[in-house]
Amino acid sequence: MCIARVGKVVGLSDGMARVEFFDGGCLGGVDLGVAGGKVGSYVEVFGNLALSVLSASEVRNRRRIWSEVRKAAAEATHL
Amino acid sequence: MRDNGILFHAKYAYMPNSLGYCGPDENGKIREELEQGTAAEALVGILEKFEAAYPFLRLIARSTGKKVFDYEVPEAYWIGSSLLEHVPVPEFYQFSHRELKGRDPREVREFFRGLDGRAVPHHTFYVLGTFAAPVLADGPSLSNEAQKKVVESMDCCRISWGRVRHVGKRELEVEARPLELKDGRLRLAPPRVKKARYNPAISPFRTIRAGDIVSLHWNYACDLLTKRQEANISKYTSTDIGLVNRFLSGRSH
Repeated sequence: MCIARVGKVVGLSDGMARVEFFDGGCLGGVDLGVAGGKVGSYVEVFGNLALSVLSASEVRNRRRIWSEVRKAAAEATHL
Repeated sequence: MRDNGILFHAKYAYMPNSLGYCGPDENGKIREELEQGTAAEALVGILEKFEAAYPFLRLIARSTGKKVFDYEVPEAYWIGSSLLEHVPVPEFYQFSHRELKGRDPREVREFFRGLDGRAVPHHTFYVLGTFAAPVLADGPSLSNEAQKKVVESMDCCRISWGRVRHVGKRELEVEARPLELKDGRLRLAPPRVKKARYNPAISPFRTIRAGDIVSLHWNYACDLLTKRQEANISKYTSTDIGLVNRFLSGRSH
């Protein structure tokens, strides 16, 4: 099962990116061939494919959603 | 029954976890439990940390009066079954806003709006839907190469299935129908033979033989399918593709 994750491109090697995600995870070998992007870009990744490059306002919005959902999920787990 | 559901779910969660796409960094432990055929509480704890799969199981369970790891719940999610019909679409919609990490609410709203009130909490539906809005409908104009990458990625991430043609030591040759994009619409192409890895130490694969039907996730054979499961995955995959094509069709007018 995959999930669309948002993170920052922190490195490039042979056309593949290393992305640090909001959730603290990190993934190498992310393909930027569809969405574009460069080091410093924020991208939405599904599997190993970057689907889109996010604007600064989208990044802020996703961070907010992420933190709200994380809180809701923690509450649901402890029900 | 609960233990079977845990192991069933772990079989499908294993490969994306192995690739680093979802769940905690506990792949060795998941493999160990699958090989031993045990479903220890530690495995449950790992599976609960999957950011999308576990919330989906919770949704199906609470809508149908089941427990999260009752066999029917992960079976409905990964393979498909009539249990999915008992999840009200408005509840699925609310769930997509509140419990799926990081989804853009506008995207979710637009996607559901384009489905005319139909949606199923099936894994393949989730995968195809995730790509539908940002990439296939509203994304950048895709080159043929980029389009191929997108469709390959969707195809690997959905649960596909096929007939085993040849059994190797760690690899199977499987005849399966790949996903393709034709004239802006998704469909299953005619069968092709592809290679898929498998773990012969996991119970159903100890006796696998040519002619068996297997499910596949990221080019990895997860499980052997019964006739009923084969009919269900075919039916619900077809439903998922039809729904996503309905959305794409609405966007292209």
